[in-house]
Amino acid sequence: MIHDPELASALEPGQLSAAAEHPLPRRKLGRGVLGLLILLRVYVVIAIPIVGYAFVHALLTPQ
Amino acid sequence: MGEAVLQQGGVEVVGAAGLTREDALRALDRKRVLQTRSAGRWLRLLWLLAGPGALVMLGENDGPSMVSYATAGATYGIGFFAPFILLTFLMAFVVQEMTVRLGAATHRGHAELIFQRFGPFWGYFAMGDLVFGNVLTLVTEFIAIQAGGLYFGIPPWLSVAIGVALVVCSLALRRYATWERTLMALAVFNLLFVPAALFAHPSGAALAHAVATWGPLPGGITNGFMTLVLASIGATVTPWMIFFQQSAVVDKGLTTADVGHGRWDTGIGAALAAVAAIATLVAAAPLFENHVDVSSFASGADFATALRPLLGSTGATLFALGMVEAGLVAAMTISTSSAYALGESIRHRHSLNLGFSQGRLFYGAAIVSTLVAAGIVLIPGAPLLAMTLTVNVIATLLMAPALLLLLLLVNDREIMGRWANGWRTNLAGGTIVGAIALVGAAYGVITVFPDFLGK
Repeated sequence: MIHDPELASALEPGQLSAAAEHPLPRRKLGRGVLGLLILLRVYVVIAIPIVGYAFVHALLTPQ
Repeated sequence: MGEAVLQQGGVEVVGAAGLTREDALRALDRKRVLQTRSAGRWLRLLWLLAGPGALVMLGENDGPSMVSYATAGATYGIGFFAPFILLTFLMAFVVQEMTVRLGAATHRGHAELIFQRFGPFWGYFAMGDLVFGNVLTLVTEFIAIQAGGLYFGIPPWLSVAIGVALVVCSLALRRYATWERTLMALAVFNLLFVPAALFAHPSGAALAHAVATWGPLPGGITNGFMTLVLASIGATVTPWMIFFQQSAVVDKGLTTADVGHGRWDTGIGAALAAVAAIATLVAAAPLFENHVDVSSFASGADFATALRPLLGSTGATLFALGMVEAGLVAAMTISTSSAYALGESIRHRHSLNLGFSQGRLFYGAAIVSTLVAAGIVLIPGAPLLAMTLTVNVIATLLMAPALLLLLLLVNDREIMGRWANGWRTNLAGGTIVGAIALVGAAYGVITVFPDFLGK
């Protein structure tokens, strides 16, 4: 156990690992933001299988 | 109080203000920063505060990125891709600078902020994207390590085992500052691609012409070209970079007073990484000039072997060594990024300053992800080059939602205060999200309808 207030003063209160135990309050997302988040999620859900298809197609196509 | 006292017996260190070992080690680093700042030594301060930006940029010049640049150089020459790579690193700087401010202003990691501000629904989506992208990318880092080893006649299992051992050794340092400096020393070897490129005797005039005109682009816009465009974007801006740099900024202990130096760190890192990336393109360009078909290449080792008669033995050796470095440094940063994000998501302790007993989950996550990736690489007959390019494409597609979350957080004045984005950064960030989504959509169209742009 080391007690060193001078060393502790080198850190801002928010930098102490104990600060992470206090979560920040939840933010309310507006309709527009929610819509954008959902749109980009749908985009990823559609795009990833296409990449998968392209990957498999390239493997199965003889050079 | 010396550092040795802090590390005595690896016990939890608690000071008068309740400092844990993690806090105390960070405070020691901060004390040096504060003393240097008050002495007005700007360059020394930059040296002390540098790390997260340089590591994220040089770390992203990883195995799949270097293979993407080499494939672009070997397929299209330097014409279009030299300026395009510069543009992607400019994009990377815009994105990563936001993570510096976010980490310095909130002292919280990216996953932590997404979970706390937007709730677990969006948090798990973001984590799902990150874990998916990280595991795939980590696999390709070991592909690069294995490929580089093959060039020197080292069997794949041995290269991969050495790679895993080095990643574990880096984690065993149990000190953020030491880990960071060790990786920075390794990351310098990313610039091995520069002397390799010089062996290709590049024409300065051709390079200047390419940057000025974005051409020539032989063959025009095809599906293969779009794959390389997406792979090149995925080689410079990816979700793991956002999570890693913000977590590293927090672990290092940067505050808002350090944002200026954080920007320099990120900018210098981006410039060095852009130089290494363009050097890789230039080094591989002789394959294009000599009409060498790289589509059948199984890995980065084939590039080095094919370049030997064109660059000479030294040039090809530098190229192969660069591949090993690219894979190794990225394996260390990406596995750490996964560990940080996991700890932040489930509110478990996450820091490279943790001892083993407090950081079992943190170090365990990094080691397990490394072992899984290393195991996949050793599967016989795995299509390694195809996997490498596909991983970068996936990273690009996952980037659009990750960037939107980043923009939302960095515009959140409740947590950012005066460090929130201005309209210029929002315009640049919004344009990047839109551009990445559009290029991804274009890729989807020409994949589903291959005759859309001709063969």
